Amino acid sequence: MQAFFQFTVEGLTIGGFYALVALGYTMVYGIIRLINFAHGDVFMVGAFIGWTVLVTLAGTHLPIVLALFVALATSLFFSGALGVVIDRVAYQPLLAAPRLSILITALGVSLALENGVLLIYGPGFLTYPHLLGTAGFTIGGVQISYAQTTMFVISLALMFALYLFVHRTFIGTAMRALAVDQDAARLMGIDVERIIQITFFVGSFLAAAAGMMEGLYYTQINFYMGFLLGLRAFTAAVLGGIGNIPGAMAGGLLIGLLESYGAGYISSRWTDVFVFLVLIGVLVVKPTGLFGERVVERM
Amino acid sequence: MRLNGMRGVCGLAALAVAAVLAGGPFPAPAAEPIKVGVPGPLSGPYANAGIDIVNAAKLAADQINAKGGVLGRPLEIVAEDDACDPQTAVQAAQKMIDSGVVAVAGGYCSGAALPELSTLHRRNIPYILDASTNPRLTELGYKDVFRTIGRDDEQGPFAASFIANALHAKRAAVVNDNTTYAKGLADATVAALKKLGVDVVYNNAITPGQLDYSPVLTRIASLNPDVIYFTGYFAEGGLMVKEARELHLKPVFMGGDGNNDPTLLKTAGSAANGMFITCAPLPQFLSGAKTFVDDYTKQFGHGPGPYSAYEYDAIGVLASAIERAKATTPDAINAALAETKDYPGITGDITFNAKGDRAVAVYIVVTVKNDEFAPYMQLNAAGQWVSMQ
Repeated sequence: MQAFFQFTVEGLTIGGFYALVALGYTMVYGIIRLINFAHGDVFMVGAFIGWTVLVTLAGTHLPIVLALFVALATSLFFSGALGVVIDRVAYQPLLAAPRLSILITALGVSLALENGVLLIYGPGFLTYPHLLGTAGFTIGGVQISYAQTTMFVISLALMFALYLFVHRTFIGTAMRALAVDQDAARLMGIDVERIIQITFFVGSFLAAAAGMMEGLYYTQINFYMGFLLGLRAFTAAVLGGIGNIPGAMAGGLLIGLLESYGAGYISSRWTDVFVFLVLIGVLVVKPTGLFGERVVERM
Repeated sequence: MRLNGMRGVCGLAALAVAAVLAGGPFPAPAAEPIKVGVPGPLSGPYANAGIDIVNAAKLAADQINAKGGVLGRPLEIVAEDDACDPQTAVQAAQKMIDSGVVAVAGGYCSGAALPELSTLHRRNIPYILDASTNPRLTELGYKDVFRTIGRDDEQGPFAASFIANALHAKRAAVVNDNTTYAKGLADATVAALKKLGVDVVYNNAITPGQLDYSPVLTRIASLNPDVIYFTGYFAEGGLMVKEARELHLKPVFMGGDGNNDPTLLKTAGSAANGMFITCAPLPQFLSGAKTFVDDYTKQFGHGPGPYSAYEYDAIGVLASAIERAKATTPDAINAALAETKDYPGITGDITFNAKGDRAVAVYIVVTVKNDEFAPYMQLNAAGQWVSMQ
């Protein structure tokens, strides 16, 4: 039983990262029906921007908390901006084109980002400074580190903030209106292009937050890190019901738990098999995903 | 303009004729270089290992060329990226053949080296492996494959002996990552552990490329092993050491020679202190490699990688074989390589056995002390464990 709780703690830690990235997939899909394959790479770029700022500031006498804050702010802002640029350059001109063109463009953007980072930073692993200690506490034999707790709380806080943003603000209402019917939204005087840009900004912002947290927590980053994580986060979004925000959160945590229980009880060699088996199972029974998107209203 | 160009060419030709007539005041430049292929991962997660190997090859070639080259011709290194990926490896081997290499010396991942040597074998082009340790590579019966490093079926029993006789462990967990190299080493280790009466409580693979291995470590810890032996590569190894420390796991963490890379130390930080790695001696621990380490550091601005010395010797053995063969045809080089006896390499004297493996391969156990690799123990001639500290 103790092992079960330990697996749960580990699964939730992993799942928190998946959920943050899954939100970006689901928001973009909800609004423009695009599976943004470049999203996992925005997560990677976020980790690299954060690393660059942290390493640059490490030479100065800035207190570490302040350096961390500056790195986080820079990474989140620039990754958000990157999301907007990607939308402007690659997706907006294709919004009226067939869905397939924009999907393939997304793959192209993904490759461009990966190889761009490969060109600038090289192919090896970079290491974040070891800022988070291994200290923690034990409940009934279950090890929980302070770093783990902090990561999880920040993930939940960001998800809650997003929920409030989408449901309690004017822009959020406009986003939801867009998801229901773009043309009607435009007729109501909503600046559709601007709302799409904001969606990309917010999604990329969250992915970068996950990227930096991942860098700080696992310390090892690489230009390819967005691929596997992006794939699993996308799976999480589909599992929860793509286009649905609470669904992406639940899906992310669920994939994390599945991965952890799978590795713990069955075999870590079959992690992906286990995760995708459950995905197929859910989709067979409920093709719209766990939180099944209602036809009238998405997000 | 055109006239000028013509005149230039004529001038050069006249100069060349004059040079030949004069008995050649410029001897070397006329000689066509001997091309040697060096495959390795130059992109992807293991790229730094590949770069360390190519650098060592270049250093060896530069030093040989400074002494007049081989058969009066300079060596030219043709580096190809195999990305540690079997499919890319076939293309890399093909590209090397197309560029006219007479021999190949290099490689890192066994999974990529296997298709490379099969492709090269069709042309009988010799391949000297510097880092790929899977036994199968020299068990195919090919007469054109040689190896300057030991084999996993030697490293496996060595690791097992360390676990049983030096650490006095009763229970061991062996973890691989499902790659050709890691699986081969794990199988060899498990078989040897069983022979030594150590209980193997866990023998399974992880999925490489993930970041979090805590669940599998928790699972292993619940089986109460004394030692965890990870036979995969350094990227995952570093994360696992760090995560095992965060979970306050009791078992000693031990890695195979794929963990032998500075990236592991950077990823794991102080968590790596006290872990063990079974490997061929690192260049900095080899008494014969002192000048090599200095030269390498001077030329590339950082110290050599774990396999750099083995690549340096691979190029050296190859150059000496071509010199003895007095020809650059594959068959002549293969025959000369097979006759290699007591070549004085920086990793020790090199003699190839009938399979192309080194007759005597040395392994040591390295530990991490104060965030750096340090020699720990080795087997003496009587088969006893002695400290190297």
